[in-house]
Amino acid sequence: MTENTETGIPPIPGASTPEGERPPAVRVRGLWKTFGEHAAVSGIDLDLPAGRFVGLVGPNGAGKTTTLSMVTGLLRPDSGTVEVVGRDVWRDPVDVKARIGVLPEGLRLFERLSGRELLTYMGRMRALDPVELESRTEQLLDVLDLSGAQHKLVVDYSTGMRKKIGLAAALLHNPEVLFLDEPFEGVDPVSAQAIRGVLERYTDSGATVVFSSHVMELVESLCDWVAVLAAGRIRAHGPTAEVRGEAGSLHHAFLELVGARGNPDGARLDWLGGAR
Amino acid sequence: MSTAELPPAPAVAPPDERITDPSVAATTAVFVRLKLSLLRNGMRQSNGKSAAFVGSAVLAALVGALGLLGLVALRGNEYGPDTGVVLVAVIALGWAFLPLFVGVDETLDPGRLAMLPLRPAPLLVAQLASGLVGSGPLFTLLLLTGAALVAVHGVAAALTAVVAVPLVLVFCVALTRALATANARLLTSRRGRDLAVLSGLLVAFGLQGLNLALSRMANEDGSLAPTRPLADVLGWLPPASAVRAVRLADEGSAVGAVLALAATAGCLALLLLWWRRTLTALLTAPDASSLQPPPDAGPAHDRRENGLAGLLPTGRTGTVMLRVLRYAWRDPKAKMGWATSLGMAVLLPLVLTVRDGGSVYTACWAAGMLGLLMYNQFGSDYSGFWLVAQTIAAPRDAFVELRARMLVICLLGLPLMVAVVLGTAALSNDWESLPTGLGLTLTLLGALLAVGAVTSAWLPYSIPQEGAMKNVAPGQSGLAWGSILGGTLVGAVLSAPVGLLALLLHGGPTNWALVPAGLAWGTALCWGALWLAARRTAAALPEILAAVSKG
Repeated sequence: MTENTETGIPPIPGASTPEGERPPAVRVRGLWKTFGEHAAVSGIDLDLPAGRFVGLVGPNGAGKTTTLSMVTGLLRPDSGTVEVVGRDVWRDPVDVKARIGVLPEGLRLFERLSGRELLTYMGRMRALDPVELESRTEQLLDVLDLSGAQHKLVVDYSTGMRKKIGLAAALLHNPEVLFLDEPFEGVDPVSAQAIRGVLERYTDSGATVVFSSHVMELVESLCDWVAVLAAGRIRAHGPTAEVRGEAGSLHHAFLELVGARGNPDGARLDWLGGAR
Repeated sequence: MSTAELPPAPAVAPPDERITDPSVAATTAVFVRLKLSLLRNGMRQSNGKSAAFVGSAVLAALVGALGLLGLVALRGNEYGPDTGVVLVAVIALGWAFLPLFVGVDETLDPGRLAMLPLRPAPLLVAQLASGLVGSGPLFTLLLLTGAALVAVHGVAAALTAVVAVPLVLVFCVALTRALATANARLLTSRRGRDLAVLSGLLVAFGLQGLNLALSRMANEDGSLAPTRPLADVLGWLPPASAVRAVRLADEGSAVGAVLALAATAGCLALLLLWWRRTLTALLTAPDASSLQPPPDAGPAHDRRENGLAGLLPTGRTGTVMLRVLRYAWRDPKAKMGWATSLGMAVLLPLVLTVRDGGSVYTACWAAGMLGLLMYNQFGSDYSGFWLVAQTIAAPRDAFVELRARMLVICLLGLPLMVAVVLGTAALSNDWESLPTGLGLTLTLLGALLAVGAVTSAWLPYSIPQEGAMKNVAPGQSGLAWGSILGGTLVGAVLSAPVGLLALLLHGGPTNWALVPAGLAWGTALCWGALWLAARRTAAALPEILAAVSKG
């Protein structure tokens, strides 16, 4: 699964290899991005381990999408370096683009193509062998339960179907690292299960999945490694159990980490429910 | 809002008895009152809106009254009745198509009525009656009265007019409502919104047609004579035939008048029948959203792709070309761009040649319109450009990407442009200038494609997907217009060498050298521009993505 057909890179050793022997899948140093006065990402240093299911969690506006966009080459950082599988994203795009798959949030697909046409288009753009492309397209459509809608235009797809066809397009060239921005947002349980199944099978083969979410229960059940992002900075990172620590769940640990105070000003609403 | 003001529903029989339908009169009264409520609510909106609403109503009444007076003033004019006939045909056309642009009122939406216990026949009468209320019908009534009065000089004609005017008015309302019912599903679907975007095209070409028609009319020193041949044809078609009946009655042809009236009345009956059938279908058939899509509409699709797409080059070039061609057909904004450019490339030289005698050089407009297609290539990808960006790792990829897009324009545009040059040469009967015309248009097209490629890389901007007339995202219009105007100037300068050569060679058989010269110079410009644009594109992918994602 991890053998890259375009570059002939030998397969990455299985996920069972001790972590120390594998270089990190993603290495980020001193990453900054400001929009006007607002610093969306302020100095992130992070190593994401290879062969893991990595969750990037944080409240809305924490900088998850900005970070993922800069890591995948869709947004230019103000400063800092990003390396994916040991190659600099901004200085060596040729090598990096063939090795990563991306499912961004808030960007359109080529929606006037049918699902199958979109996959064929992406596969040809990535110079896959036509016979191999055909067979991969068939399998992805089948596994993601899109075969029935393969000739429908993507513009007429539901949110879940869009996420699934986006995932298929991101997996088509068998990348080493997969970046998914909110892959389960607005997705029904059936589609979510299909996506989950594909991702679990993919990481089992030793590949790396990095995905962002603010649904803690989902991250806790899926990820073996998490990084918590708030206000453009990393608050904690490490194996899920470590980040959870003493707190009962990742959810509680997260609320503590990002400094959510519950409802300290609740007293000011003392009229609520009082005498009418 | 308006539903809260609905008058109480007519009394309904107790549930244990057979449910009786509300009568036609009751339903009609409800609908007319609903329409009046809607009109009243129109005046109750925010100050600006209600002022606009009242203003447009007053304007409609005023213009209608003026039209009536103007038509009455035409009594005695030899062509007055013809003008009346043409006017009625235009009004009917307006009733047929205007709802597509301005939307229809809420008493029409079958989606809101499907849950009510209404039979199609009372519903049809009620919708027809509510359609007769409003400033639009008033405006139409005034103009129709004028169109009929033009021909009235006796009792027989007056009596005919009394029948004809209401008949045409009802015809117009029935026409618009029947069409709206037939298109109800369409108007609320994605396909309908696509069509709404394309409606801009109708306006653009309609204006050209009007331009041509007006310039033809102007040739006649302002007389109304050109309406005669039009009226001769339109007068046979309902509903204009009803107005023709007035004139026939005036001329003493009773049989002709009755037949002409009967034609409109018969057509109205057919229209009502059709409307009733579509209404029944709409109220009883399940909505598309509750139907399971056919599992696989498929393999035929693929075979067709293999047929035509097989002729395209392999690799990235063919892949990009196929996608651009599919978008030219399926994406409303892209379709509008292509249709406008290709259509205007034919129309402009044609209009100019026909009107002013013209010359082969008017074909340069064709090159200009085709050149426009190359501008802002990545903007037409919308934020889907990230998919392209993911596959551009080096300037070479960007070069192939842009070259493929340029090739699509040449594939569709070059044969058309050559045909336009040949056509203008034939129309102006100036075959001697043919080689010069060919050489210059080829050069100009090359220069404009080159400039388009460079501006695509340096000055990308977003295209909003909704709205027929919006082709630039807010805040980027300066960028868009600047790049197009500046680009056209630069394109003209870049074409200068071949232009000078044309001046030097003027006259003589050596003129034919301009064709290969133009082709070679145009191609060279394109290649240079692609090289430059590719380097910039590959280096500025995130910046381009940000610029085209604002729509």
